[in-house]
Amino acid sequence: MFQYPPLSRRDLMRLSSAGVIAGSMSGWFEALARGAAARPARSRSCILLWMSGGPSQMDTFDLKPGHAHGGTFKEIETRVPGLKISEHLPGLAKQADKLAIVRSMTTKEGDHSRGTYLMRNGYLPQGPVRYPTLGSLVSKELGRPEAEIPNFVSIAPYRFFAPAAFSAGFLGPQFDPLLVGDGVGGGEEEGDRYALKVADLAAPADVSRATVDQRLGLLGSLNDRFISAHDTANSLGHRIAYERAVMLMRSASGSAFNLDEESSEARDAYGRNRFGQGCLLARRLVERGVPFVEVTLSGVDGNNALGWDTHVDNFEMVRKLSQALDAAWSRLMIELAERGLLDTTTIVWMGEFGRTPKINPSGGRDHFPQAWSTVLAGGGVQGGQAVGRTSPDGEQVEDRPVQVGDLLATIVSALKIDPATQNISNVGRPIKVVDPSANPIAEVLS
Amino acid sequence: MCMTSRRGWRQPRARRRTLTPQGALAALSIAVLWVGTAKAGDVPGISLRRELDAAALAALIDRDLAGRWDAEGIVPARPADDAEFLRRVSLDIVGKIPSVSEVRAFLDDRGPEKRRRLVERLLDRGAYATHFANAWRELLLPGANNNLETRGLAPPFEAWLKIRFSADTPYDRWVTELLTPVAMTEADANPPARRSTVASPLAFYQFNERKPENLAANTSRVFLGTQVQCAQCHDHPLARWKRREFWALAAFFGSAAPAETRGSSTADEAGENGKTQTPAGPSAPVPGLSIKIPDTEMVVEAKFLDGSSPAWRPGDDPRRELTRWITSRGNPYFARAAVNRIWEHFFGRGLVDPVDDMDESNPPSHPELFDEVARQFVDHGYDFKYLIRAITSSRAYQLTSRTDFGGTDDPSAFARMPLRRMTPEQLYDSLVEATGFRDTTPRQQGAVFGVETGRAAFQAKFADQSARRSEAQTSILQALALMNGTFVADATDLQRGGTLAAVADAPFLDTPARIEALFMASLNRPSEPAEAEQFLAYVQQAGPDGEKAALADVFWALLNSAEFIMNH
Repeated sequence: MFQYPPLSRRDLMRLSSAGVIAGSMSGWFEALARGAAARPARSRSCILLWMSGGPSQMDTFDLKPGHAHGGTFKEIETRVPGLKISEHLPGLAKQADKLAIVRSMTTKEGDHSRGTYLMRNGYLPQGPVRYPTLGSLVSKELGRPEAEIPNFVSIAPYRFFAPAAFSAGFLGPQFDPLLVGDGVGGGEEEGDRYALKVADLAAPADVSRATVDQRLGLLGSLNDRFISAHDTANSLGHRIAYERAVMLMRSASGSAFNLDEESSEARDAYGRNRFGQGCLLARRLVERGVPFVEVTLSGVDGNNALGWDTHVDNFEMVRKLSQALDAAWSRLMIELAERGLLDTTTIVWMGEFGRTPKINPSGGRDHFPQAWSTVLAGGGVQGGQAVGRTSPDGEQVEDRPVQVGDLLATIVSALKIDPATQNISNVGRPIKVVDPSANPIAEVLS
Repeated sequence: MCMTSRRGWRQPRARRRTLTPQGALAALSIAVLWVGTAKAGDVPGISLRRELDAAALAALIDRDLAGRWDAEGIVPARPADDAEFLRRVSLDIVGKIPSVSEVRAFLDDRGPEKRRRLVERLLDRGAYATHFANAWRELLLPGANNNLETRGLAPPFEAWLKIRFSADTPYDRWVTELLTPVAMTEADANPPARRSTVASPLAFYQFNERKPENLAANTSRVFLGTQVQCAQCHDHPLARWKRREFWALAAFFGSAAPAETRGSSTADEAGENGKTQTPAGPSAPVPGLSIKIPDTEMVVEAKFLDGSSPAWRPGDDPRRELTRWITSRGNPYFARAAVNRIWEHFFGRGLVDPVDDMDESNPPSHPELFDEVARQFVDHGYDFKYLIRAITSSRAYQLTSRTDFGGTDDPSAFARMPLRRMTPEQLYDSLVEATGFRDTTPRQQGAVFGVETGRAAFQAKFADQSARRSEAQTSILQALALMNGTFVADATDLQRGGTLAAVADAPFLDTPARIEALFMASLNRPSEPAEAEQFLAYVQQAGPDGEKAALADVFWALLNSAEFIMNH
């Protein structure tokens, strides 16, 4: 196989000073010095379970049985005395000791597009600043620039309403997510239903492996000649992007995306749907050291569009979504724990907003950012608790309001990233990873 | 919305040479004109200033930049050769690489001043207006193409800008038309049949949600190079703008909101009917126009950023007053912001860097030059082409980007051309040019998310929001798209690939000439001897039956190379 010449130490220094390579360089240099492929020290990862459409807190993690707003679902006991969640989340109930449920989220944006940007990028889209999404920020801090698999992988994203909420913004495209199973709407074709694929990962069918090798050889010599005369960060960056793309196409790391390597039983346990198989893929990626993986649950039964947007027939929809969610999420935590990875993997469950406590005449619930729920689990998180409280009718936060910045500060703190870490924005000013007025939820952090 | 902290103070660069008498006069006149003048159009003395034509301005740029090179012992890079210059200036002016015939004609041209004549040819092309309309749309409606809600705003706005760039409308005039749109011009209302969209500047208001604070922030950012938006929520810690001053500016745009909130039909519907456009509605301007700062009890009166107040007369339109102040000759920020952007367009970096951050704590790298270019821009009727002629004929613009031929890594010295990755638009249009792909989608269409036509797909995949073009990077998905995606696959298909098929089948070309044609089509230069030898050997070892396929491999490598995707 064709290989690019390895980067020299000088190349690395240049890339580092130009901001191409982020995070700590020391681990990499040591590895180079050893000349060995020894695995670096176990680093932290984050898995974001993104609930596209805005999940109903009233029917998942903050039920109000007995109240007119309560709906048809029952609460069940969990492994943690006194902590109750929906009857349709039995798997999670057994692992409630690992969950920190935030029942007092309060935001001000009830529009899908703007709410998605707000929750995923931390700010409302306004003015000229193009804020990066959470995964780009985290993977820039935790990722290894030489990693074979990209440091940020977004599985089954539904980007239709807010593409900028899936973008690295001012951090630049080298921090964009690798999109797996990117579909802008509708279901998938029958037979390809759970396909979670990276676009353009393979050469066209009529181009043989030998041809690709020869082409890469020609490209390598063209680039070598150009880069030796144009020794700049962006020309090197271009070569590195190609190098990593080829690694992804070729090397063993590419097999991370091959779910056929898993047993049929394992695949069944996660659920034979996009989200379930996506969570399985997330586990495989975290095993290989990918620092940020997100899996979107945007629908079930072939529907792949804002599934949680349950304006109509809320209860039937949420029941089905909960089943897919519960199977995959609970299995994910079990398998991460079995592999000793749950302590270093922070799991976040959230959508763009919650849903109205009041049930509308169509048996649905509408957009509701005033009082809703998110959940954290795993690495850096003190589980077995619910933080904050809503009023008996669910309309108000009564205790410990949590804003988006507070939540994001908690997530990055759980990942041991300083929320005050700064990046230079596209308007030339430094912007902190999280709004400096925000405070991590102390009791959630372990 | 400000959650930024400010960079530390930067010390103004020590003066490296004494002021020329002209420079001193200029600095003085700026100061005199600026202090306390809200309306300086009638200040005497401006007409006395010596006007320079583009060549003279280029000479002045050369002198000033060389002054710093000398003072700091910098040896500038060697001049760019003809092919490098042709590719660069084509990408910068018309937004795409030259065709094979343009390359050959330019390299063979033995006439005098061939570079200057080339620039004139490029400026005469419709693609100049298209490219600059796209660049200024991105400035005024940043990221509009990457957001579902704002995608529809870009085509009519770019069409509106294109009409102005085509007609060489002076910058101060089209900015006035943008900030105080009253009626559609004939050209806007009657677009040529082939243009699919009605031209309209109203997207600027829609993009800013008609909010006074958004309009004020973006107006001052783009047209004054000054970011006041941080003062929206609190006093700016370092710069001079305080919260009151921000809202005093926003007050001028107060009239932009009511027309919308009243639900009147004056704005959008009238615009769509192609008759009149009065986003402000029939304003009833009040002397002492004021605005209440949200979440406070403070009410501030409309004032310009320099603290002066308009001399209201009955019937005045507040935004017209503001626009008069912004575009007045006495306001040095207006011309300087434009000059800085044009400079950045051609050099990848402004004389003030970042371009949106022109305040006291961030001085220009070349203060006297900056003042003089801005003054000449004003004296030459706010004519972009005058600036473009001067910049492209300057020595600095014509330096090589090679890092092994001298120069310095300090980009503020302009002693070497930086490498800039192409914008998504430049990349798409250049791939079309190189491959002979026939894009049947109208330029202004295809911006429908989910229906990813060629151009829209590229905009989405190659969107780049990095701080500077010279720092833009390539992502893995972009590399995969270029290596394995359908566009390059088609371009390197022996049946479907226009350029490749023509080159591979041309009976009058031998193998070396075919390889040379592919180099000219993609990298816009002849191959170097070592390259020619290597690629010829590669194609020949494939044998007669494999030659065409081997040529496809060569073309694939050329289109995927760092040299192709860079404006160098």
